[in-house]
Amino acid sequence: MKIKHTISDNTITISLDGELDASSSVMLDEELSAPSIMMFSKILVDCKNLNYISSAGLGVFISHLQRFEDAQIKLIFFNMQEKVRNVFEILGLDLLMTIVSSYEEAVTIAND
Amino acid sequence: MPYTKRIKRLSFLTGSVSWVLLLVNILFLARQVHEGERNAASPYLSNLLSVIFLVSVFLYQRQGMKVQKNPQFTSPLWKLFVKGGLSAYLCMLLQVGYPSLQTYWVNSPYLLDIFYQIVFGFLAYFLAKAFYTWRQFVLYHKTKDLESQWKWFEILVGLSLLVPLFNVEYMNHIFLILDLGLLMAYGLYMSVHLRWVAYLNLERKWGSILLLMAILVSVVLFANFLFQYADSPELVVDYTDNPFILLTLSFVFCYALASLLVALFSLPTSQVFEQKNADLLNFQRLSQTIQQGRSEEEVYAMLFESAIKASGADAAWLDLKEDSKKSLPLRNESPPDPIVQSIKKAFKELKTDSTQLSENKIFMNGDLLHHPAFKELRLPFQSMMVIPLASPKVEYGHLYLLREVSQGFDADTVSVVQTFTNQTILTIENLRLVTESLQNERYKEELKIASLVQDRLIPKTFPTDTWFEISSYSQAAKEVGGDFYDFLQLSESRIAIIIGDVSGKGISAAFHMAQMKGIFHGLMQQDMLPDEFMVQANSALSRCLERTSFITSALYIIDYKMQGVSFARAGHCHTLYYNSMTEDTFYFQTEGLGLGIVRDKSYAKRIHRLHYDYNPGDVMVIYTDGIVEARSPEQDEYGEERLKYMLSQTYHLEAEDIKSAIINDVSEFSNDILYDDQTLLVIKFKPPQPKI
Repeated sequence: MKIKHTISDNTITISLDGELDASSSVMLDEELSAPSIMMFSKILVDCKNLNYISSAGLGVFISHLQRFEDAQIKLIFFNMQEKVRNVFEILGLDLLMTIVSSYEEAVTIAND
Repeated sequence: MPYTKRIKRLSFLTGSVSWVLLLVNILFLARQVHEGERNAASPYLSNLLSVIFLVSVFLYQRQGMKVQKNPQFTSPLWKLFVKGGLSAYLCMLLQVGYPSLQTYWVNSPYLLDIFYQIVFGFLAYFLAKAFYTWRQFVLYHKTKDLESQWKWFEILVGLSLLVPLFNVEYMNHIFLILDLGLLMAYGLYMSVHLRWVAYLNLERKWGSILLLMAILVSVVLFANFLFQYADSPELVVDYTDNPFILLTLSFVFCYALASLLVALFSLPTSQVFEQKNADLLNFQRLSQTIQQGRSEEEVYAMLFESAIKASGADAAWLDLKEDSKKSLPLRNESPPDPIVQSIKKAFKELKTDSTQLSENKIFMNGDLLHHPAFKELRLPFQSMMVIPLASPKVEYGHLYLLREVSQGFDADTVSVVQTFTNQTILTIENLRLVTESLQNERYKEELKIASLVQDRLIPKTFPTDTWFEISSYSQAAKEVGGDFYDFLQLSESRIAIIIGDVSGKGISAAFHMAQMKGIFHGLMQQDMLPDEFMVQANSALSRCLERTSFITSALYIIDYKMQGVSFARAGHCHTLYYNSMTEDTFYFQTEGLGLGIVRDKSYAKRIHRLHYDYNPGDVMVIYTDGIVEARSPEQDEYGEERLKYMLSQTYHLEAEDIKSAIINDVSEFSNDILYDDQTLLVIKFKPPQPKI
């Protein structure tokens, strides 16, 4: 699992590369728990290379969902593979989180 | 060993009898000389008897001598002196008393003969004892060569008994004298095997030296008696003619002398040897502590003691990093606490000045008084060594050693002390590993119990009825899992079936699973609708589930009177269904959010209920994600499609067989490797039948 981020203005784009399992979700949790993340108003998650997400990985996003919402930070997933998207859908997260198909779309929604 | 005992007894008997006979024979011979009486006694007979006597005495000692197993050499020396050597002093007393005895008490020409025989008896006993005591000493830490050399020496010396037996005047044969000389040289050669001396400590060495001197005096006294009367015309026999006596006597003398000299000259070096030996023993003790199950404190105490002994330190203390409160009990060697603190302070200053800055290197200074910080303290110490106790990962503490002489620690001491500390660290780490593994063993046992408890939470049998067949399968990937299923008979014609999966695995998942079971049984007593149940369960779980955990679940209420099933899916896998009327296999596409994701009232909006009227022959497959996310060795997922295909091929079978077919296919696909808990329930509906 590789986690990369690029920053522009008030937007942070987190790229996930590999499998988000129990051990790598700890890394992601640290990333999302960092106080500096609250300085951004938009968090875009690039799931292009995310091949697998475990329940622990989902749990990390779920646990931060409420916090970001309260702080009015937008959390947007994009470029999600069908397989991974299916996991989100089964759990009902697609209605709870913003999942779009491309980066452009994500930027547009983020700027609304 | 009855054999050696018998030989001992026999040789004792023949020895005493032959000596008495010898004495009698000698006396008769003396009568021949003194009174010209003719009797049966002959000089040859005394030769024969003396040989039998010698053989018996030597055999007796040979059997009686215990093998030297430990380096306690003073005790055989002491025995030799007391039992053998003292008789020489006794004979000396006799000799001193002999003239007066002759003058005042008995004036008999036979007295000298009797005296000579007694001396001979004592001498033979002493020689035999010494000979075999020396054998034990020579053969201490023997080699194979040495053992055979000694065997030949014994045989050759024994052969010299043939000389009196054949009544040969060896003095007349030059080659016999030569042989005798060669044998003596052989004995001299045997005398260089003095390994045992090296194993004596200083105290024992002194004891041995004294005993050896006493034994040497005995040898000289015996030799003196032997040769003093050798050519005396009054005597009828002359044992100096017996080369065996001469050989053994010379060997006993040579070996005793050699031992004495070697022991004497090794005295100055013995302290060094003792030190090395003690170091070795301490090292051994340290390395053995693991097996003996000692505590860490004992290991540190052992290091402390050993290091002080090895370095000869005048003061020392051990500073342990981890829980520094637990310092070692104060000893004589450790200076009182305020001094320790002041030395440590001075040491810190010294270290900043010195080039040896590294924490984990040995610090050594032989001229403490050159440094002002130490000079101020006015302490007698001039040398200081600080050895860190550290493994590459952990630092355990420091060992401080102080000496009152300058340049008190040499390279040798440093390396010995370092070896001790290294071994100590190894021992400590091993001890910790052992404790850890014991702890792990305990955890494993606990897990086993948890696994048993969890197993009991899952129903093994469903109620059997005529209207449906249920078959279940459940397998946890670890000892305990997060999958669960359960049922509750709501009324005669209605049953609630729940399936669920707690996120994560292991103990915490197992706890939440048990909790979910409790919630299910608690809430369903009130017979609520599936979606209502999910809202209530979400509210209950919100209060106790940790933020990153959630539960997916699906609840089915089957009413067989109405032939309908109503259910709610809370983020759980889609329900697979086979409709026997349309002959269609499909997944129910309903929406519903997992439990514990949204933890407020808004959850009610996110859960939906679906009602479906079933037909007899329909099949419902309920499962957890462990089934569809099972992975092949190529990392492909089993997937919903394959599961659907399996059902479309097997729907006509009994529920039990459908389940087995699916499970077999999944295990074949995943090569029997389990990544996640797997649960599968197959429900096959049947036409309602009247009860008989």
